[in-house]
Amino acid sequence: MSGFGSVYLGTRLSVLASRLISIEQLIGFIQLDLERIFSQVQQLTDRDYEFEDSNPDRIGGQLTNRALDDFQVLIRPFSGGERRFFNFAIRWFELANLKVLIRGKFNGIESRAIEEQLIDLRSFSDLPVRRLLDTDDPYEMLRLLETTAYGGIVRHARRMYEEHGNDLFLLDATIDRSFFIDLYQRTRFLRSADASHVGQVLGGLLDRFNLLWLLRYRFTYELSAAKSFYLLTKTGNRLHSADLMRLARMDSVEDVVAALPEPYRQLLANVKDVSDMETVMEYHSLGLAAQALHRRPNLLSRSFAYILLREAEVRYLQALIKGKWLGFDNDLIGQAIGAGA
Amino acid sequence: MLPTPLPMKKANLYMVDADAQAAAITLARLAVMHPLAEGDGDQALEDYPAASYFDVYHDLNSRFGKVSPFVKFPFDDAATSAGIVTLLQLQDLDRQVKELWAQVSSMEERMRRQNEKISAVRQLSNSLQKFTSLDLDLGRLRRQGRFLRIAVGTVPAGNFNQLKRALSLIHFMIKTFYSSEGIDHVVVFGPSQQREEVQDLLQSADFRGLTIPEEFSGNPVELQADLDRQIKQAQQRIEKMNRELSELMDENRVVLQSAHDALLLAQPYASLATVLRGKGGLVFLQGWVPAGRADEVRQRLQQDLEFPFHLSFADPEQREFDTVPSLLQPSWLLTPFQVLVKTFGMPGYREVDPSGLFALSYVIMFGMMFGDIGHGAVIACLSLLFRRRYPGVTIVGVLAGGSSILFGFVYGSLFGYEHIVPALWMSPMHDPVRVLLLAVLWGAGFILVANLLAIRNFIAAGEMHQAVYSGKGLAGLLFYVAAFYGAYQLLQNGRFGWHESLLVTLPMAVIVYFQWQQSSGGLVERVLVVFIEALEHIISNVSGTLSFLRVAAFSLNHIALAAAVFAIAGMLDSFGHGVTVVLGNIFIIVLEGAIVAIQCLRLEYYEGFSRFFGGKGRTFAPLKLET
Repeated sequence: MSGFGSVYLGTRLSVLASRLISIEQLIGFIQLDLERIFSQVQQLTDRDYEFEDSNPDRIGGQLTNRALDDFQVLIRPFSGGERRFFNFAIRWFELANLKVLIRGKFNGIESRAIEEQLIDLRSFSDLPVRRLLDTDDPYEMLRLLETTAYGGIVRHARRMYEEHGNDLFLLDATIDRSFFIDLYQRTRFLRSADASHVGQVLGGLLDRFNLLWLLRYRFTYELSAAKSFYLLTKTGNRLHSADLMRLARMDSVEDVVAALPEPYRQLLANVKDVSDMETVMEYHSLGLAAQALHRRPNLLSRSFAYILLREAEVRYLQALIKGKWLGFDNDLIGQAIGAGA
Repeated sequence: MLPTPLPMKKANLYMVDADAQAAAITLARLAVMHPLAEGDGDQALEDYPAASYFDVYHDLNSRFGKVSPFVKFPFDDAATSAGIVTLLQLQDLDRQVKELWAQVSSMEERMRRQNEKISAVRQLSNSLQKFTSLDLDLGRLRRQGRFLRIAVGTVPAGNFNQLKRALSLIHFMIKTFYSSEGIDHVVVFGPSQQREEVQDLLQSADFRGLTIPEEFSGNPVELQADLDRQIKQAQQRIEKMNRELSELMDENRVVLQSAHDALLLAQPYASLATVLRGKGGLVFLQGWVPAGRADEVRQRLQQDLEFPFHLSFADPEQREFDTVPSLLQPSWLLTPFQVLVKTFGMPGYREVDPSGLFALSYVIMFGMMFGDIGHGAVIACLSLLFRRRYPGVTIVGVLAGGSSILFGFVYGSLFGYEHIVPALWMSPMHDPVRVLLLAVLWGAGFILVANLLAIRNFIAAGEMHQAVYSGKGLAGLLFYVAAFYGAYQLLQNGRFGWHESLLVTLPMAVIVYFQWQQSSGGLVERVLVVFIEALEHIISNVSGTLSFLRVAAFSLNHIALAAAVFAIAGMLDSFGHGVTVVLGNIFIIVLEGAIVAIQCLRLEYYEGFSRFFGGKGRTFAPLKLET
């Protein structure tokens, strides 16, 4: 990247970082009515959203679109391996569409209803959405998906489906696992300095998912230790292979938590429910991303951290607005965004 | 009179619901109406009567599109002269094609599994070949011991490390004895008590195990034969399914032909799903029709519709000019140039269609830059030779080649030789300064014409202030003429007096004042914007004019390249000389010809079109029968 490109990107990232809504601010929004949430979002993000039509799906579309606009700006100075990594990381958004499509077709949901749940990713989309929606049965859709950039991921999902049926969590986890493996492999094509900084941010994410999956596989699905370990993804910052193998042999959630390395043991010491653990781990990994965005000098890792934080912001805001729009209780909305954890 | 896109009329058609499909087909056959999505008809007509029809059409079209690659027989297009397709007919066909597709899809899935099996068995076969070099009794694999379990097979290389660690948790080991194309050929062994757990884990890791038949005696050749037999069986199954698929298509030939015909006839009405509005049996369709064909539309609808209808035509209003579609005047000569114009953008409805001027100036500039009788003749002949294959290029090629021949006579150049044909004027090399000056004059004329067209387009759009005061308007034109005159006085007579200064300053002051009026924001911001825009206006005029120096530069370059070829040829014997001259000329025609063609296009787009032509017109897209 040229010197001018670095200055440009650094400035852009600083501006965008200052417009992110923090978790604490989001939790504070739960007590507000929709109108005040909208005005707060406008004010904090300094963006012109059209909130007059408060349909949550359309607002969700706007939130995603603005995020994509910003990613498009960030991607400009990158080239080569960095650009490919950045592009692939943005696929994190498209995985949501992939899951909606697979779940929808396997559950026999009408194409129009599936379409309403999809996010329009514009030029970032690699999926032939229209053709996928027009498929008549799930296997036809899988065959079509196998010809796309997600072919490898879908083959794993197909195997998981054939082994365990249409289990929502297992299917999602399989798709996420394959994505992380591919993303991790792309860090190999980065310059060593970039790879190291990006690895730190990615590591927090991998720890979070590995721990959550391990707990679910072992104690919810009661899979064997070996299979539970096998279904995990690449290792992250603190939870290395040896740790995960050791944890997989444990007989209870409490034993696993007690055997965790720091800081996870302390973080989860008083958390009993696996769903709450998921939230705590997510907040922790987002905290690491926020640190990278604000403190690290490396532009690629800062951009990657920004994608993670912005994705979480969009997701939480969507949940909050949808909850408010549907008239849900504040406690329920709080649970949806993990305010109680 | 300058050419503009064809005049349009807004057609308002009220009819009964029962006639809507017939009207759609009639209009589609005429290919004469551009339906208006954001119409301004009666707001009480709030329903979209073609919406449900479109849904069924879309489903049928999608399914037919999926089935048709398996159809080996040709469809009969003559059958499409039949009448309208009702919603019920469409639904019935969709149901039949859906059932057919379910069978095809199921076969496809079974074929996919057979292909996957073939691939897995081939990997195992490969594995077995490597295994024969090991000193191991394969019979042991079938006779699993009481304490030891062994499995041989393949696993994707990406899964190996994680699988190895996972297996170690149940005291199993895995060893790779061969790796190829992302596949690891492995032996897995461990205590036999963990049989089910291992099986489950290996399945998750996409392990494909080598199965030892009961009758296996221990000879690897037998095992290889068994694998070959498995591959052959799978291939036979695929062949059988292909035959069944073909038979299935033949059995459903009538249904498929009906679906094909129905889709062609249903498409016009289905495409009106978001356009056609109605209520209580009355429907309303609005669209743009070329004014010259309005009567034909009325007559044909009178012939084809069963019930009375009301059709009125209205001229577009000024506020609608931006939304009226543009249809350029059809012309066999200008069609390829119109394609190049559309590449830049479609002229707006009231804008000048620049195709004619573009064709003329493009052809002239090509000849000026590539003037050679021989080279021009080659380009023209090749264009004629390939007229069937590239009909669009032929006209451009023949005209450009002809212009090249003409300027070849002017320059006295034949395949680079300057002494065979006497020059009607002179070779550019003899007086390069004069040629450069002429190029600048040509450029100035070109820019002036572009400026005049811009003024005309502003007036046509009702933007009188822009036409008079803006940099692209009259003020800009006067500034350009004054600046050119001033530059001429300075270069010719060495003076730039007060009246030249006044001539330049006055129009510029008008432009600056107009920009000031148009700008918004704070004082500093406005000053900056106006200053930068004024500067940009001056620079773009100067650079635009100088840009035409390339016309002269390329004409000189053409001769210089030929001279270089002759210089090289002169150093060789007679055979080498001949070959070099031929190859050199081919090189000049291909490489320089392509560069000149692109440079001419660049001058047209950036120094011409961008000055007068927004290119934001809407293309006339009529309702028509797809074939």
